[in-house]
Amino acid sequence: MEREEVKKRIAEKFGEKVKVAERSPRRIYVYAENDIWVDLADFVFNELDARFDTGAAVDDREGVEVMFFFPFDREHYYLTIKTFAKKPNPELDSISNIIPGAKWIEREIFEMYEVFFRNHPDLRPVLRADTRPKDFYPAKREVKDEHVPPRRRDDGDERADEVEGKPPAGQNP
Amino acid sequence: MVKKVPIGPFHPILEEPEFFELHVDGERVVDIDITIGWSHRGIELLSERKTWDQVPFLVERVCGICSCSHPYAYVKAVEDLLGIEVPLRAQFLRAIVAELERLHSHLLWTGLAGHFIGYNTVFMWTWKYREPVLDVLEATTGNRNHYAMLKVGGVRRDIPQEEIPNVLKMLDELERNNDLLTKAILDDPVIHARTVGVGIFDKEQCRLYGALGPTARAAGYDIDSRRDHPIDAYDKVEFNVILRENGDVFDKAVVRQLENFESIKIIRQCLKAIEDTEPGDIAVEVGEIPPGEGIGVYEAPRGEVLHYIRSNGKNMPMRLKIRAPSFNNILTNEVSVPGNTVADAGLITAAVDPCYSCTERVGVLDTSSGERRVLTEADLIRLSVEKTERIRKELEGTER
Repeated sequence: MEREEVKKRIAEKFGEKVKVAERSPRRIYVYAENDIWVDLADFVFNELDARFDTGAAVDDREGVEVMFFFPFDREHYYLTIKTFAKKPNPELDSISNIIPGAKWIEREIFEMYEVFFRNHPDLRPVLRADTRPKDFYPAKREVKDEHVPPRRRDDGDERADEVEGKPPAGQNP
Repeated sequence: MVKKVPIGPFHPILEEPEFFELHVDGERVVDIDITIGWSHRGIELLSERKTWDQVPFLVERVCGICSCSHPYAYVKAVEDLLGIEVPLRAQFLRAIVAELERLHSHLLWTGLAGHFIGYNTVFMWTWKYREPVLDVLEATTGNRNHYAMLKVGGVRRDIPQEEIPNVLKMLDELERNNDLLTKAILDDPVIHARTVGVGIFDKEQCRLYGALGPTARAAGYDIDSRRDHPIDAYDKVEFNVILRENGDVFDKAVVRQLENFESIKIIRQCLKAIEDTEPGDIAVEVGEIPPGEGIGVYEAPRGEVLHYIRSNGKNMPMRLKIRAPSFNNILTNEVSVPGNTVADAGLITAAVDPCYSCTERVGVLDTSSGERRVLTEADLIRLSVEKTERIRKELEGTER
């Protein structure tokens, strides 16, 4: 379906609840409010006949931006649906019941960013080891900010610090 | 009585760890549970600590076989953000390396599939045919894998004009050999018996699960990013998208074999194009990356690779999301494996050409008695080979 037609039909159906941005002739981004997020994905996938590709998340101080990519292959462009799950408890409805292919990527976004997908059939972590603590979400901004990479090696050889070009603590000029 | 058969996390013939728990009733699989993440390396997070120019070296290590496809999608995502075009010669050079990669990847899979059903002759001959492709990659890029060829704005090095005849010679030989191999596969009654109607995954299921690549095209799902989202040289060359209808293991094999001819066709056109252009201009200068976002897609041998990047104007990506084709394709096993036998389960999971590991261990657990026995690689392959032998004998009996 041609891009102008797609934009028109999305605007007709969802009105003020969506905002459309075009970065280039082959990329359209649709920002949706949380409550119509699943309906929009359903409309694009089943009514407009887009293909489901995958999803992604970007962490922000205020919340997590979650997006799913829906290419229109015959017309050579990508439509990306975005929504914003607000912190401290980011939650969204799951699209896995409409698109089974989204099951794993929603599980991944949950275990990396702690975005809880309501009505997901099986929201177990998909990637991390069983031994990792349950409340550890490695891609969250708060976790990354707190995580300080170790600078010294365990063998007591402090020359590692010099190799990195940083003087030992307390000797900064 | 339903038993559980865990396959993995280390599994024969497959290149990375994966865990399948088969729920079996006798020989028949009734359900499957899949666990991934056994070799999770945190590459997306690592990329946030690398500069824009270092990331291609990192993402080509996502997969040893797809070591051109991932950098290709990444550089296209950055170029999408920047809105730049790369020089014509660089476009053709990129396509040459990417298609050589597809050739060796498809041949690798055909060899492994032959090994798994007990046709070690197919395995050895196919890998013999694959070797000259790797030689050409080494001669043109410096490495058999991890070519480090692509960078944002173009390519890192040119292919010398005097190297072109060698590549053409290799392609001529490979075309003959691939023809031989394809006919052997199409005509062999035992391969038919082992693969036709096994592990069917249909077109509608491909749409619902987001399956792509040969896995989807074998079911007639007509998607190929090289044609549908053409980048660089791909709208300047002619090629066909190979489709089949049944979506079984046989069709997946046939699609890969026939795609080799199309890749050869593309490389020949690209070589002709670089012969006609002057060496020299292979990259444009790229300055600072402004804040923004970009999407890059490329059709890897296993299906579409997508990279999404977000920049906040610094010298490193703020976010890089990678969609590897196996992530969606492996999920298809929850539909294609149930209903088949344990002897076929390994073949079906291998038919999507996933990235797995070669360390093998299979446990069989009887859920009613709690009895557990561990099968080795040899046991699992033996199950598959015994089935092939049984079919071969049955067919010989029929012919007499």
